[in-house]
Amino acid sequence: MPYDPGTVLDAGPSAGADPDAFVRAAVAWHFDPATGSRFWLDRAARLGFDPRQDVKGVADLALFPDLTHELRTVPAADLVPRGYGDRAGLLNVFDSGGTTGDPKRVVQLADWMRHSTEQVARGLRAHGLPAGAPWLSVAPTGPHLVGDVLTRAAASLGGPALGVDMDPRWVRKLAAAGRTDEVAAYTDHLVDQCRRVLVSQDVRVLAATTPLLERLAREDDLLDVINSKVEAIVWGGTHMDPDTRFLLSTEVFPDVPLIGMYGNTMMLTGLIERVGSSASDPCVFDPVSPSVFLSVVDPGTGAPVPSGARGQVVVSHVSRSMFIPNNAERDTALRVAPAAGQVGDAVADVAPMATVAGTTVIEGVY
Amino acid sequence: MAAPHTAAVPHLDALGPRGPYRTLAPEPVTDVTGTEVARLSLVPPVYVDRAMAALRRAAPPSPDRIDGRLAAAAESFASGTVGGLGVGAYEDLVSRTSGTPLRVVRAATRDTARFVARARTSADQGRPRGTAAGLWGAAPRAVWARRGEVFAVNASGNHPGVHRLWLEALALGYRVAVRPSRREPFTPHRLVGALRQAGVGEDQVVLLPTDHRAADTLVHGADRSVVYGGDDVVARYAHDPRVLPQGPGRSKILVTADTDWRAHLDTLVASVADEGGTACVNATAILVEGDPAPLAAAVADRLAALPSLPPRDERAVLPVAPLERARALGSHLTKVAAGTRAWLGGDGVVDDLGDGSAVLRPAVHQVDSARAGQLRAELPFPCVWVAPWSRSDGIAPLRDSLVLSALTRDGALLDALLAEPTVANLYIGDHPTYWMAPGVPHDSYLSDFLMRSKAVIGAR
Repeated sequence: MPYDPGTVLDAGPSAGADPDAFVRAAVAWHFDPATGSRFWLDRAARLGFDPRQDVKGVADLALFPDLTHELRTVPAADLVPRGYGDRAGLLNVFDSGGTTGDPKRVVQLADWMRHSTEQVARGLRAHGLPAGAPWLSVAPTGPHLVGDVLTRAAASLGGPALGVDMDPRWVRKLAAAGRTDEVAAYTDHLVDQCRRVLVSQDVRVLAATTPLLERLAREDDLLDVINSKVEAIVWGGTHMDPDTRFLLSTEVFPDVPLIGMYGNTMMLTGLIERVGSSASDPCVFDPVSPSVFLSVVDPGTGAPVPSGARGQVVVSHVSRSMFIPNNAERDTALRVAPAAGQVGDAVADVAPMATVAGTTVIEGVY
Repeated sequence: MAAPHTAAVPHLDALGPRGPYRTLAPEPVTDVTGTEVARLSLVPPVYVDRAMAALRRAAPPSPDRIDGRLAAAAESFASGTVGGLGVGAYEDLVSRTSGTPLRVVRAATRDTARFVARARTSADQGRPRGTAAGLWGAAPRAVWARRGEVFAVNASGNHPGVHRLWLEALALGYRVAVRPSRREPFTPHRLVGALRQAGVGEDQVVLLPTDHRAADTLVHGADRSVVYGGDDVVARYAHDPRVLPQGPGRSKILVTADTDWRAHLDTLVASVADEGGTACVNATAILVEGDPAPLAAAVADRLAALPSLPPRDERAVLPVAPLERARALGSHLTKVAAGTRAWLGGDGVVDDLGDGSAVLRPAVHQVDSARAGQLRAELPFPCVWVAPWSRSDGIAPLRDSLVLSALTRDGALLDALLAEPTVANLYIGDHPTYWMAPGVPHDSYLSDFLMRSKAVIGAR
């Protein structure tokens, strides 16, 4: 099967493609020796089933093991499906955050970037984001997906994104070593850069991570600036607990709508919060058929949790550019019915996986 | 994942600068058996930040009214209804969540009320004699002045008495934020509620229950903080002049050859086991000049007779913990005690009550040297290490003691212990290590950390 743009596999998220047909086409592409990536062709024999025979639709993605840990070491070039020939358009190699070991790597090809940007921009437009408005995007860039998603979304809405870069890995390293002074100094440095942009530029959309928004809440002068001229705040890159979301919406930024974006590297895009919830409602993220499927499962058994219950988030990314089925994220969420036209689960109130409480004894009575 | 749903458990809201605040999904507080007994609103960092900013904007508590307010708060803490809880219900909750025997909790209520009522006079005990408390009367030449405006305490839940100290900060004019223990938030909730009932402003004292991640936000927002924890916490804040860490007490008793320990056995046993053995002022080690075996045997004999009972039993004297935590403590003790001679608890200290909780029974171990590492192993139940001590050991093994009780008639030795900077409190003669009273320093006067002397020339 040569690269033949225009088939179902090139349908964007808004094209209304049949998800089962899309998944079958994707599996046919990724596991065909003529078109698949070296990564999948090398692993096909180990699967214990024949994807091209046995995968009939979305539900069969559950057949695949979670092989994302192998993305820590695989050469990035091995991830590009060979069926593209010289038309792959490799734009970026992104790293996962590396919270649990070395980062995992994924590739962003030009066709997927267009689909991803389109669905993010569509989600933001649904929240009434202004077109042609300048953004300030305070998010990790370079090897990190989130900064790229935000910058491209701003451009797609016709707004230039002014940026403040950050290195979350360094901050995590400082925090793990207990160097809280240095964490504070680094964060102050980010705030200083934000202040210059916010004060001097006509910023109308602010995109930032949760900790940065929490930190900005301490700066009375910046709160005045943000509440008076910013028309929307997009938060993402990390979790936001429901109480923080409520307080930021109602007390800190009472005049600015707060719009959540949930994504991770293996998803290769960001999901924009469902429209219409209040500050105290759960923050819901819908999947993006036919390319991003979510399920919420019991981490012990892998079985779906009941609707409304909390479980581990499992993400599948399916596109012509990459195939990352059944990736168990280090996130938990409430299982929610998806919006009309979407398959699988939607997720609400995404939170980090609770770390297993150790039984180490620290001496002393406190 | 969630605790079983229980109808109508009390809600412990955060007590913020604009009144009580209930989070969207308050966390269950469970007792030692795992039963949910309350819901606690854990506020996120952004709430903490804003509360700390509100404290900073607030005026100091009025000095001429503070005594009356403290007295009224002490009264309602000891006998009133605060936050919907009468004193009996409050004490029951403390006992069943912290595992502290009910009678210890009841005694602590009375004592805490005494400390609250006298917090201003206690704090004033630490005022240098060359300073005046304020700018009134004749030109004072020096005034005792605060080093900051906002004080925070990151509290522990091992014993209700932990909450006696921070009242002095309030009495000295600080605005105070208390982060309660998640295991036992009831005592500070009741105290803050009582202070507010007595007229202390909502923006002058706040209760901010948080998870761990917001604890740093609390300390960051304060000018002065007291943080309770283990050696890790002490090390972490060792070089931060704004933080006073309260680590393991490692309280000790020394008995020299000129004193017959048999006459003081009650005090030795009480120092180890009263208060359930969970206080930083309980004895961790007894050092004895001569053969330690008879002393260890006698202490073990007395402690062996203490009954294993659930904490809410009127006769209970020993601490109780959730079974899993009790087992973790028990196996830690076994590991630490390797190579020592067990007089009590050598077969294990965990006594399973069969309801998900276990009593932590006393342990008495004899070590062979005053320099044994075990002497530093403080555990939250009656657990004592008995060591031989000789003149050649000197005072090195007695260092790093919150309280050192010295049963000796050796004046030169007492002088050396008085001079030793790492002995915080020296009790001479027959006094249990846990003895405390308002106005007597606990780990120096708290005001040493909170106040400075400022020259003021000329009258107002």
